[in-house]
Formats: sequence, structure tokens, C-alpha cells
Amino acid sequence: MIDAAIANPLRDPKDTFRRYTIFGVCAVFVLAVAKDIIIDETDWERMGTLAEMVKTALFFLPEWSFFPQTVLPLLETLLIALWGTILAVGVSVPIAYLAARNITPMPWITYPLGRGLIVLSRSTHEIIFALIYVSALGLGPLPGILALATRSLGFLAKTTAEAIENADPGPIEAIEATGANRLMVFCFGVIPQIFPIFVGNVIFQMDINIRRASILGLVGGGGIGLMFAEVMQNLYYGRAGMIVVGITAMVVVGEFISNRVRERLI
Amino acid sequence: MALLEISQIKKTYGTGEVALKGVDVSVEAQEVVALLGLSGSGKSTLLRCVNRLVEPDSGQVVLDGVDITSLGKSSLRNARRTMGMIFQEFNLIDRLTVLENVLAGTLGVTGTLRGIFRAFHGDDIQRALELCERVGIIDHIRKRADQLSGGQRQRVGIARALMQRPKILLVDEPTSSLDPKIGREVMDLLKEITKEAHIPMLVSVHDIFLAKNYSDRIVGLQGGEKIFDQTTASVEADSFDQIYHEAS
Amino acid sequence: MKENVSLAFDRHRSEEMRSGLWKFVGLLLFIAFAFWSIDVLKIPIERVLGMFGRLGTMISERLLPPEMAFAAQPRVVDSIVETIEMSILGAVIGTIITMPLAWFAAWNVTPSRAILFPLSRAIIVVTRGMPTLMWAMVLVAIFGFGPFAGMLALVKASIGFAGKLMAEQIEAIDMKRVEAIRATGANELDVLFYAVIPQVWANWVGIIIYNWDAQLRNSTILGFVGAGGMGLYLREQISIIEYQTAMAIIVVIIVMVVLSETASHFLRHRLY
Ligand SMILES: Nc1ncnc2c1ncn2[C@@H]1O[C@H](COP(=O)(O)OP(=O)(O)OP(=O)(O)O)[C@@H](O)[C@H]1O
Ligand SMILES: [Mg+2]
Repeated sequence: MIDAAIANPLRDPKDTFRRYTIFGVCAVFVLAVAKDIIIDETDWERMGTLAEMVKTALFFLPEWSFFPQTVLPLLETLLIALWGTILAVGVSVPIAYLAARNITPMPWITYPLGRGLIVLSRSTHEIIFALIYVSALGLGPLPGILALATRSLGFLAKTTAEAIENADPGPIEAIEATGANRLMVFCFGVIPQIFPIFVGNVIFQMDINIRRASILGLVGGGGIGLMFAEVMQNLYYGRAGMIVVGITAMVVVGEFISNRVRERLI
Repeated sequence: MALLEISQIKKTYGTGEVALKGVDVSVEAQEVVALLGLSGSGKSTLLRCVNRLVEPDSGQVVLDGVDITSLGKSSLRNARRTMGMIFQEFNLIDRLTVLENVLAGTLGVTGTLRGIFRAFHGDDIQRALELCERVGIIDHIRKRADQLSGGQRQRVGIARALMQRPKILLVDEPTSSLDPKIGREVMDLLKEITKEAHIPMLVSVHDIFLAKNYSDRIVGLQGGEKIFDQTTASVEADSFDQIYHEAS
Repeated sequence: MKENVSLAFDRHRSEEMRSGLWKFVGLLLFIAFAFWSIDVLKIPIERVLGMFGRLGTMISERLLPPEMAFAAQPRVVDSIVETIEMSILGAVIGTIITMPLAWFAAWNVTPSRAILFPLSRAIIVVTRGMPTLMWAMVLVAIFGFGPFAGMLALVKASIGFAGKLMAEQIEAIDMKRVEAIRATGANELDVLFYAVIPQVWANWVGIIIYNWDAQLRNSTILGFVGAGGMGLYLREQISIIEYQTAMAIIVVIIVMVVLSETASHFLRHRLY
């Protein structure tokens, strides 16, 4: 009964046929991929029985008494995320200036330059930046901070450039009409207009950077990831479980706070 | 020679829209000239060609002996400092305070660093406050610009333009976004202030009443061309008919 | 000078002083915080100063130019194919699991506000918060090296990523249609199929594509922890200090991500 009421009498049977064909092709494709990954590429013999797997998994139950030792690395992670974001804020504004079509100083040179930097930053995983910085500067939080800054400046510059492009040209023209120079037009005509959007995006990046910062240590970028790599190497799985719980809690709280603050802003 | 001489200004926008087809206008010292025309007749374009917010295709603008049209970027900035502009949509910076908006008028002569940190000179602050008092917004100086009514916002716009100590005011339909009554108050204020400070004004309007009551001379524009240019006292009714009836 | 002007002037000046003082205090606090951070993180200042020089040398002499021939070897090409397969499978299985979860986690139409709603919300929040790379390491410990663990890691990542977005879409639907269906005496499942899914489907397809794009990005580095795909060669080449070949992998990753982003953008705008 409901069927009859809802079914769309206008739906073309040819269209239905096309849908089913597309769906069928996709399904066959996915099954082929599944066979490849799950059957051909996986060594089920070596993996052992289900019981053994469950046994290993149970080793990961958090060892709560390890918590106090995770506090300092968690704090470090938070600081790495914070300083990565702060650096990204500093660098993203000039890049956004280059990458905003309406104010870029030399459209033929600076605009593609700005856009190129944004694409590079956004399409490279933070782990890769961390690897490059670690190999140049050695282990520690410094390359981690730089990796985060490089990773998040693209998003910040992109959203800021978009905000600049959507800014009301009226106030910008009014400041131009007073004879102010480019920099002052930017500071008075543009920045006040984009400020709330920018702050919202910075907070958003801060919250994502906490998650990113927690894995940088796996490649030598400092923070809690380093401790995680160590305990995994020494097969202290209970401690690893504890660390995962700690990070997850920190990230969830961070996201909650960031959402609340951004709601307030709007 | 007149204070402002606009000669043979032509402008075609990138979209192919022909906005001005060679217009001459002159403004004498202490004179109020009204640009009268229907929507789309090119009033805003002409005003913006004077300070080159819109770049004219050809023609010449001379202000107080300076050929504006031939200036390079930095001398153009210097020249803009001598022209105050008032906009139909006010174009205030919403998130700054009224006082900061008025002080923005000095950005052309404030050092870059001072400007960025909003560290204005004491004399400028003093003068900004006097202007706020003069235009009747002294009680609102700490409010954000977007908290004001339309009439108050235009007063801020006027104070900002005066802050530049301009040689001339370029005013683009100052009252179109306002109620008729508030609009007349704003026009009264503009007229008084220009008289007090001996500043000439080139003001665009699309309302005959405003043109007749507030100007010394009226320039009629239609389709990007000047169709008459007479002292306000001598304009005949059929000149207005030309603008408002033949166009339709 | 008029009296209220001078009054306003004095008031403005004192306010300026006060706000200047606060800014100064803020600046001092910021500087103190910076020094404290440097202390906690044990950042070697002398290295920060020489940083740009060393980065410059590193990039110009050791990273560039990438040795692209490395990425053309059959074993590397195989790993690239494996990476893409892993991302597809992880994203597909992940979104299939996510769909019912999103239904449970949407407050307006969830079949059980008391149990399923908080449970599914918790699953989505936790899967979002847990870093995928660490989760992949745990899975490798349980299931051994290889793309199976990687795929499972991507399933987790999909639930966290798509779950929130899909539930948000359901919460934004027009409830009038839900009420209309309920009025016919339909059960919760009928409501889902006749009132909810028709309204969100178009957006869900967009989210599904977007999620695959995100998982492809993730899958490129999973090999780093032995969870399958090309990340393995990245780690291998870096550990033997062959930066130019490692750069070749990085270039391939960037190209893949940019292509998939373009493809996903195109598909999302093409489909509706
Ligand atoms: N930025 C622009 N790009 C393209 N065409 C424009 C632009 N600004 C104005 N025009 C066109 O130029 C012509 C003159 O416009 P202008 O704004 O100068 O008229 P106006 O007399 O000020 O009208 P209004 O009373 O509506 O403000 C119109 O046909 C308009 O469409
Ligand atoms: Mg106009």
C-alpha cells in the first residue's frame, strides 16, 4: 500500500535499468577487489585461529595504572598541535592574500603560486611532512610542529582566500578611496570582514591538529606517538591500549570544545 | 579654471556595457553640482572615474591643477587623499567602532605601522571626535558600526569623508538607502557642512526634488551622455521631462 | 573645544590606555607561554635558528629530483594497486556499516532513543577520535602484516568520518514526510525506506564518494606500519636513507590524492 503511494509513476523504466546496470558493475568490481585483498593477499594460515586472534586482541585492554605516565606526552602532543596551528595561522594569511583572486597583487604569478602551495599542503599527509622535517632536523617535537603547520596552512589559506573573495567590496573601496596603501586596505577593509570566519577555521584546525599530532611520534615527530611506538615495539599491548584510550578521550573532548566555541562564534 | 574639470570621459565595462560616452562636467570652488539621471545613466560610474575607483577608458580629470588621469599608483593615492567619497550603501566597516570608522579617513596620511595597530595620532582623534559631534553621532562613538540606523551610518560616512580634509566631496546617491525624511536630514547636513567648510560637492541623485533643493547647478545624464547642464534656478521643467519621460 | 568632545577625548584616551595595557599583558603571557612550551617540549633553540638553511640543503640536495623510475618497478606498481583496492574495500564496507549506524544516531528518527542512539553516537565519536594509524598498528598486531589489517583500519576511519556526516544529513530532513508516513501506520523500517532515505540519498552518495577520497589519502600511509599498500616502500626507502626514491613515492601519493580529489569533486557535482 505504501509502495503504491510513494513509488514515482514518472520514473522511467530505462532509467531503472541503467541504475541496476551501474549497481551491478560496481558490485562485481568491489567483489573482485575483495577477493584480491581478503583471499589472495592475506595469509590466513599464518594468522592463526580466531581464538588466537581474540587472545591477542585482549592483550590490548587498557592497563589503567599506566595512565600517569601518559600525561606528560599527552600534554606535549597538545602543545605540538597548538604551536603547529599558531605557525600555520601566521603563514596562511599571506598565502591567502596571494591566493584570493580579487586582491592578489600579480594575478599571473602570485595567484597560481598561492594556489599551488595550498594544493601541496592539503594533499600531503602529515606523516610525510614529518618524515621530511625529521630527516632534515632530527627527531623531536620541532619537526612535528613544522609538519603540522605545513599540513594545516593549506586549509586555512584556502578558506581564508575564499572568505576574501566573498567579502563585501564596498568597505574595501571606501578604504581605497581614502588613499590608503594596499596593506592598510587589507588590514581595514578585508581583515575585519573575514575575522569571524577565520577564527572559526583556526579553532577547527586546532581540533584536527590534536588528532594529527598524536601520530607524528610514530615517525619521530615527538609527542604521545613516540611513546606508543615504543610500547608497541616492546609488546606492552596493555599500555598501548591505555595510550589509545587517552588520545581518543583528548581528541573527543577537543572536538566537543571546538564545536561549542564555533557555535558561539556564529 | 574650475576646481574640478572632467572632460570627455568614456567608459565601457568589461561586460560590454557602455556606461559613459564622453561626458564633460566642471565644478567650481564652493559649488554644489548635482548629477541627475535615471538608474543606469552612468552617475556612479562618472563619480568613480574621478578618483579612479573605476578606470576611465579615455578623457581627463583635473582636480586643482593636477591631472588625475595620468597619475601613477602612488601619486594616485596622494590625490585620493584630497577627495572625500560618500557612498549610497555607506560602506562602513561593520565590525569596527564608529570612531575607528571615522578615523579610517586618515589612513591615507597615517603611517602604515600606526594604521595597522590603529594607533592614531592624538590630533586626529581630537578631530574625529569634533566631526562626530558635528554630524550628531558623538553619543555612539563606541558602538560597532553595524549597530547604527541607516541615517546614523551615513553620518559616519560623512564624518569619515570629512576626516580627509578633502578639496572636494564626491557623493553617490547619499540618500537612496534611507527614508525620505532621514534622507532630507542627511542632505541638509551635507549642505550645511560643505558651506561651513567651503568644500565643493559633486553629488549624484535620481530625485528631482533633491536636485532642485540642494544644488547650485544640475547636470542631466541619460544613457551615458550629458543632456543638459544649467544652474538650478534656470532649469526648466521640460529639461526634467527629457530625463524622465523620453527615456521610457 | 566643545565640552562633550573633550570629555569624549579624555575617555577615549583612558580607554586606549587600558586596552593597550591589556594587550601588553596578553603579549607578555603569550611570550611566557612560548618559553614554557619550549621548555616542556625541550626544543633546542640553536637548531631552530639554523633550521631554514638545513631544510634548504635537505630539499635541494637530497630530496630533489625524485627518482621516478623507482615507482615504475612492478612491485611498487603492485603496491599502488593494492593501496587503491584497500581504500575502495575499506570505504565500501565502512559505509555499509555506517548507514544503519547513522540511522540509529539521528535523534529525530532513531528507532530507539534509549539504547541504540547513545550506543551508535558513542561508536561514531570514538571511531572519529581514535587515530587511524595507531588503530592500524593494533590491527597489524592482531591480524598480521598486510592489507587485511589496513582495510579494517579504513573501515574504522570510514565509520568515524561518514557516520557523523550521514547522521547530520538525517537530522536535517523534513519531518513532515516522516509524519505523513507514520500516519499511515507504518513501522520504523517503513519510515526509514519511504521517508528518510529518499530525502538523504543524494547527499549520502556525495558523502560516500567524499569518504572514499578521504580513505585513499589514509591508505597511502598505512603501509608505514605494515598495514598494506605503498606506504611500505616509503618507509623502506627512508630507513635506508634513499631520499630521492622516497620522494618518488611521495610524488605518486600527491598525484593520486590530487586525482582522486578531482574525480570525487567531479562525481559529486555530476551526480545531481
Ligand atoms: N562593475 C560593472 N560592471 C559592468 N557593468 C557595470 C558595472 N557598474 C555599472 N555597470 C553598467 O554601467 C551602466 C551605468 O551604471 P552606473 O552604476 O554608473 O549607473 P547609475 O546612474 O549610478 O545607476 P543607479 O542609479 O542605479 O546607481 C549601467 O548600464 C550598468 O549596468
Ligand atoms: Mg549608482
